[in-house]
Amino acid sequence: MHDHVIPNEIPHRYLPRSRRGTLLCAALVAVGLIAFILRLVTDPDRAWQAYVSNWLFFAGIAQGAIILAAATTITKAKWDWPLRRVTLAFGAFLPIAFILFLPMLTLGENYFSWMHYMEHDEIVQKKAGYLNLPFLITRNVVGLLALFGLSLYFVYLGLRPDLGQVPASEYDDGGRRAWRERLTANWAGREREEVWSWRRMQALAPALVLVFAVVMSVVSIDYAMSLEPHWFSTLFPGWFFMGAFWGGIGAVAVGTVYLKAKDPIFDEHMSALQLHDLGKLVFAFSIFWMYLFWSQYIVIWYGKLPWEQEWMIHRAGAPWGTLSLLAILLCFVFPFAGLIGQRPKTNPRWLGAFTLLALIGLWLERYLLIAPSLYDGGPTITLWEPLIGLLFLGAFLWSVLWFLSTFPVLQIWQPMTAPEMVEAELAPSRDDTRVTERASEGAHST
Amino acid sequence: MATVTETERGALTHPDVTSHAEVNEDVLSILSRPGKWWWILFGLASAGVGVLAFSWGYQLIFGIGATGLNSPVGWGVYITTFVFWVGIAHSGTLISAILFLFRARWRQSIYRAAEAMTVFAVMTAGLFPLIHLGRAWHAYWLFPYPNERLLWPNFRSPLVWDVFAVTTYFTVSSIFFYLGSIPDLAAARDKARGLRRKLYEFAALGWRGTDREWHHFGKAYLFLAALATPLVLSVHSVVSWDFAMAIVPGWHATIFAPYFVAGAIFSGVAMVITLSVPIRKIFGLEKYLTVRHFDAMAKLCLVTGLIVFYAYLIEFFMAWYSGEDPERRVFWNRLWGHYWWSTWIMLICNGFIPIMLWFRRVRHSIAALFVISIFINIGMWFERYTIIVTSLSHEFMPFAWNVYRPSLTEMGIILGSFAWFAFWFLLFIRILPPVAISELKEVLPAPYRARKKQEGER
Repeated sequence: MHDHVIPNEIPHRYLPRSRRGTLLCAALVAVGLIAFILRLVTDPDRAWQAYVSNWLFFAGIAQGAIILAAATTITKAKWDWPLRRVTLAFGAFLPIAFILFLPMLTLGENYFSWMHYMEHDEIVQKKAGYLNLPFLITRNVVGLLALFGLSLYFVYLGLRPDLGQVPASEYDDGGRRAWRERLTANWAGREREEVWSWRRMQALAPALVLVFAVVMSVVSIDYAMSLEPHWFSTLFPGWFFMGAFWGGIGAVAVGTVYLKAKDPIFDEHMSALQLHDLGKLVFAFSIFWMYLFWSQYIVIWYGKLPWEQEWMIHRAGAPWGTLSLLAILLCFVFPFAGLIGQRPKTNPRWLGAFTLLALIGLWLERYLLIAPSLYDGGPTITLWEPLIGLLFLGAFLWSVLWFLSTFPVLQIWQPMTAPEMVEAELAPSRDDTRVTERASEGAHST
Repeated sequence: MATVTETERGALTHPDVTSHAEVNEDVLSILSRPGKWWWILFGLASAGVGVLAFSWGYQLIFGIGATGLNSPVGWGVYITTFVFWVGIAHSGTLISAILFLFRARWRQSIYRAAEAMTVFAVMTAGLFPLIHLGRAWHAYWLFPYPNERLLWPNFRSPLVWDVFAVTTYFTVSSIFFYLGSIPDLAAARDKARGLRRKLYEFAALGWRGTDREWHHFGKAYLFLAALATPLVLSVHSVVSWDFAMAIVPGWHATIFAPYFVAGAIFSGVAMVITLSVPIRKIFGLEKYLTVRHFDAMAKLCLVTGLIVFYAYLIEFFMAWYSGEDPERRVFWNRLWGHYWWSTWIMLICNGFIPIMLWFRRVRHSIAALFVISIFINIGMWFERYTIIVTSLSHEFMPFAWNVYRPSLTEMGIILGSFAWFAFWFLLFIRILPPVAISELKEVLPAPYRARKKQEGER
């Protein structure tokens, strides 16, 4: 069992602002946008398929990272203390993700194939209570607003007490100062703020996970499962959101590896222990992804019902079979073979490389959830899909880098810092209920 | 920590345990002090085993007609109870393997009892395929063995997978249970006399507690934990596929594997709570099983309970969404049909009652947890009953629909299975230390160097 020593003072914790990084991200967005527009003109259906699958991937992993933060808050984990801020940083993409979601509201019957079926197909007509455009738009907009809103509030709660402890320094620039002042408005004193944030986070984290499961289920049913309106699978939504969660863990792992290489201060604090634990999570959830995939596959294969098999056959047979196989290799076989044992998990490059492979696999998986339902004939994947992905990738990287250079990368405020010590200090005088309660809340992880 | 002051003691996992010697004394005294309650419970359990033997004997003589099983419901309370006990068996390996890997230290007070429970629950579950076979003496036909006519079981049948999954699980959880007990068996050996000492000596494999031994022990435990982790998922997944592979409406759902696994852990942890509350009371283990341990178990129940409830909801939703008539009818029938009470018991006990676990006051009240855990146990039994019986009695063809009513023989066997489980469990707490002595000491503050000799530990 490791004891994590969390320092009180780390002088320079900002990621330097990089003009080159911003320009690069802007270039990626521009290329992606141009690609999308060109594609929209030449082949709008395929353009939208690529757009939605990219959106599902990037919004999913950004949200998945926040869920990792929520999960470690619930379990009162201590190992991830230097990663907390990195985990929260992915929340910066969520507002952009919502903006990028808005164009998807214009999708019509070329994307939602059930709109055709609704006219003549009896079975699909029975689903009209759920599969209708007004309800679809309402539930997705409301759901995503709730999910992203709660996530951002969670990020705010994690930031606020820490920013209150950041003194003005030579590293300040306009943005950093402005955000610090904005987020620490009405500061009520360090201890009260810490208790307040900590309590809120404890209460919010389980709710956030529940909202995540429900909203992601709805999104996955609406934007992926219903594209083959006769097909249904009870595991599909669960498989989808666990994939997003896994992608979030992967994004945090890659981010950590990047930061370790970037700066010796981060390198020192994000030790092999953190990499090992992140590696274990990437490894374990890769197996879990495969488990869920298999649980769904074997039941359908064994049942051999035509309307169930259809979905699998579209993906397993020509022309999509090769891509599906590649997705399984990338999501499961490579990470499993590459990350087994302790040494590969603690080697940053190795961990980063195999996590990236897994993320590419997940990206492919998201694409395969959508495109084979809507499209047959012609090349299965072209250069257009990754090119349109650059639009999302650029925005994603820019928002995360912006976050990490605007707020300190290492979070000093650690509500879980040896909670037993807090309690030990307070044990004899139990008069101050507020503080003792907080201490007992924090004491379970021992 | 060089010294342990009064203030620091408040921060510990077991604030009322003052020394290592005390752990040995308290835990080992359970082995030599049966007490009135133990004898009463043991008497009841033995009587129940008698009921089991009588009912099964009756069924063996009169044949499977002694049960209520008939077309179309060929799987009744036997399979229900089989799945129930396999589910109960899940928390042991979860707590000993997965929580070990997650470094959740609160497991140390309960894991021994949970592991023992696992082994006995699998032993109980294992009875039911035999009972359900009717001609139990042909049970060995389930195993693939070379024979002269090259007759093999059908490997494409999930029931055969079940044989492998459950046997593997039983083997691994028994080894795990035994391996973890070795240091404690040695502790018991050092205190015992006569024949008892001889037996412990044999079972402890000559453990002396040297550094080298601890090193190997730790390595073995870690590896076994890593290898046992997939088993937590695999066993109940395979059990769920007994149902999901068939195209019976209400069974053929892709979510079954993770849903059953979550349900199994849910019921297993509830059973650990149900069992540890009386043990704690009867043997005065309040120092070792603190409110914090119950709080953590309650949270585990809450998490898995939420997954189960999510699965219920998504199943009902998908049944509607599927647009398939048989599917829709089966689920409608579950809620409002002949077996509505079973479905509502399941929904209320597993979906609504655990909502109370959101509140810390409930999680910190041992009496409340005890009651809730019993409700969960009941609910989980009825979940399997609902799944199995409502689907079979109401398949595709209306002329084939029929109602199943368990017979008195079946009831006797179900009751007897609980007694059989209790019988073994009660014996266990007299033979093996039900709280892991050695692991507990790991989280206690180290004693003074000077006092170590006086305490003469191990």
